[in-house]
Amino acid sequence: MKHILMMSGTKADFEWYKNWSKEDLLAQIAFMQSFNKELKDAGVLVAAEGLDFPSQAKVVHAGADGRPVTDGVFPESKEFLAGFWIIDVDTPEQAYKIAARASTAPGPKDRGNMPIEVRAVMSGPPPEFL
Amino acid sequence: MKYMLMMTSTTDGFEGYRAWPQNDVQTHYAYLKGINEALTESGEFVDTHGLAWPTEAKVVRAGKSGAPITDGVFPESKEFLAGYWIVEVASPERAYEIAARISAGPGPDGEPLNMPIEVRQVMS
Repeated sequence: MKHILMMSGTKADFEWYKNWSKEDLLAQIAFMQSFNKELKDAGVLVAAEGLDFPSQAKVVHAGADGRPVTDGVFPESKEFLAGFWIIDVDTPEQAYKIAARASTAPGPKDRGNMPIEVRAVMSGPPPEFL
Repeated sequence: MKYMLMMTSTTDGFEGYRAWPQNDVQTHYAYLKGINEALTESGEFVDTHGLAWPTEAKVVRAGKSGAPITDGVFPESKEFLAGYWIVEVASPERAYEIAARISAGPGPDGEPLNMPIEVRQVMS
């Protein structure tokens, strides 16, 4: 069963992250690298990606003529995806365990372990839709 | 340049989608499938995934012992990721063009949804 593990935050969270000390950032990068390697070695890693900062995000919709209308203004409360992993595991519980590991990534100690959203990934549309 | 195109919605939005007639859902899927095929042909396709319903979503934190603490309660305003595409394109404008095509996907009675698609670069 493929599951997606998502890290997200508001603009304020990203600003906080930007102000981490170099030492904290390096510790986090080292954690992520060894975590990814461990998932890869265990044969469960399908994909891992990190996204650009929310200041670069655009929301696009098709105008009446089908052409893109872009906008870069989002509500303050909006949670932006920061990055994700897709893992292939036997049970949701295994996905939660791995998410808990990701949750312990080191950072400045004032916030505790970070929340990771976990959801199954579908391999295709539900059969009744086809 | 890799870009991620994200379709998101609140729980209410997902419930609305669940109420679509099957015909409209099939038309919508066929439209998206056509986009996937066109992106594959142009060499711009990297990845696409649809996610399980928000009712299946959990938020996980490590407890003091490191064991997972799971919770399935989210604020009503929470936007859940419904699905995404990753495309490899020559410019951000091309990513916006593809997002507009996805945005114009047919909804109930075949009318274009013109739904918002968030677009952001994926870092290597």
